[in-house]
Amino acid sequence: MSAAPAPSRSWTVRVRQLAVGALPPEKLLPDGQPSYVSSWIYVFGVLTLTSLVVIIVSGSILALKGPGWWHFTGIGHFFNSIHLWAVELFFAFMVIHLWGKYWMAAWRGGRRRVWVTGAVTFLVAIPCALTGYVSQQNFDAQWISTQAKDAMNSVGIGAFFNLLNFGQMYSYHVLLLPVAVVALVIGHVLLVRKHGVVPPFPVFDRDEASPGQDPVAPEASS
Amino acid sequence: MTRAERRRVDLVSREWHGPYREYDLVKEFCIALGVVLALALVLSILFSSPDERPSTITSWSRAAPVDFVTTATTELDGSSGTGGYGPPYNHASDGQHMWFIHLQKWLGVSHPVNTAEDFVLAPLRSLTGQPAVQAAVTAYQSATAGQRAAWTTAYEKGLAKATVGPGDSVSVPGGGYGPLPTMMAGLLSFAQSGGLDGALLRSRQFYQTDYTKPLLLLADGGLLADRAQAEHLLGSQWGMMNETGSYPGQVWLWLYTFWYQIKPFSTSANADILVMAVMGALSLLFVLVPFLPGIRDIPRWIPIYRLIWREHYRELAPSRR
Amino acid sequence: MAAVFNLNHHATYAHWHFFTMSVSNILVIVAMLVLFVVAIAAPFPHRRAAVEEDR
Repeated sequence: MSAAPAPSRSWTVRVRQLAVGALPPEKLLPDGQPSYVSSWIYVFGVLTLTSLVVIIVSGSILALKGPGWWHFTGIGHFFNSIHLWAVELFFAFMVIHLWGKYWMAAWRGGRRRVWVTGAVTFLVAIPCALTGYVSQQNFDAQWISTQAKDAMNSVGIGAFFNLLNFGQMYSYHVLLLPVAVVALVIGHVLLVRKHGVVPPFPVFDRDEASPGQDPVAPEASS
Repeated sequence: MTRAERRRVDLVSREWHGPYREYDLVKEFCIALGVVLALALVLSILFSSPDERPSTITSWSRAAPVDFVTTATTELDGSSGTGGYGPPYNHASDGQHMWFIHLQKWLGVSHPVNTAEDFVLAPLRSLTGQPAVQAAVTAYQSATAGQRAAWTTAYEKGLAKATVGPGDSVSVPGGGYGPLPTMMAGLLSFAQSGGLDGALLRSRQFYQTDYTKPLLLLADGGLLADRAQAEHLLGSQWGMMNETGSYPGQVWLWLYTFWYQIKPFSTSANADILVMAVMGALSLLFVLVPFLPGIRDIPRWIPIYRLIWREHYRELAPSRR
Repeated sequence: MAAVFNLNHHATYAHWHFFTMSVSNILVIVAMLVLFVVAIAAPFPHRRAAVEEDR
């Protein structure tokens, strides 16, 4: 391993420099937050994230044993319960997080993509949940699939997304849509790390007597 | 807010130049994970989760044989829900549309279902050791279209006065039904024995995960809808939000199901495409909130943020408050 | 594994004009609203640690 830096024509170096430039380690995992991050409303992002972790872990256990397992064993039914309640918690925490971010106008200061990725995550999570409901292989799945198919068919989606096809729906639910949700969440969190948590609304002096003063930060330095 | 003011607010919001506090993100994540896991475990122990057994064609044909035979007859003459659906199952209608937008028709028939053939005639032809049934099927298929329609129409009228006989059979008052009573008796017996469930599922190949045909047949009958109504799952009951039993359901679908309760959606034959269009537009607006004048300004006009950041504003110099 | 509370019975519904919602769903929504208000209103504990200037 030579000490000489790799030539800049290297794609590896360029990718690394881009990544580290956008998110140096101390920005990716900072050990401090701005002083205004001082409200319980801020914990709903991480609560949503950890709910997603519990959904994925419980879902993975259900996937390990196959889609019929939970109907025939108590332990399988228990993991199905964890999966269902984690979904309820996920949506509840996500919506509260959304309420908080809206009232903070958290898209300010170049953070529009943070809002957009968060909103799209919510919208993708809905069909992810739908494919789960129609994969249950019980009466609920029968009813939801035969009803929701009308909505899909009305806009032509039913031609290639058949809610009555258990195999297809299970594949979407276990792989394709969770991958999409996780990818969006990763993008969302990395953007939050990159831009930082949005500062409070600025307070401007009416007479603009101190143009050099930071209208957001308290007078912590000269 | 003028554009210049907005740009100014945006600029000062880009980066924080003030004080920081120690904040352990990894510890916060671990604590949150513990809290969520504990909540999920407690809720699972306290309430478990619903699992109502699915209906089968077997159970349907035994519990409601008249409804089953009536549905099968409408499949035969194409007057069932699936028979007249249109794409993606058949060309019987153009399906739903909104103005000139006929997406259902444009995407075509991708899952062809011939209700007479798939739900009645093919299963009957697969029966062995029942020469009377085979003869009835042959007689039906040899008849003219007009004759077949006359038989099915008369039979459907007769079924409105049908009674359930011994062995869950169906007795219809006398009439000119042609070979239909024999055919339907054969189909009912096949369904009650469990054969029709399997025949519909495996009509293409042995290994099968596509339940389109058995589900469409079930949904054309009254059993699923009866169960759904009892559980408040019908569209008119805000059913999209509900779960079987007393479990919380899909609360996040409240706005989606809301439109189905009000005119013009509640009385429109194109309700689904209309609601999808409205929700599609609202979803787009939701994603684009930061770009929407007015919507993006509401948090400033209704300053809930002053409560969230009250400590911060208290710490600001008095001259700047 | 049987649940402590059996929810496998017909739900109770609240009606208001054309609006119908199960008590379970209402409880979820109320809990979310309460949680939101409490999250904003409740004081957030933090150590009075040394404040770091402008990172």
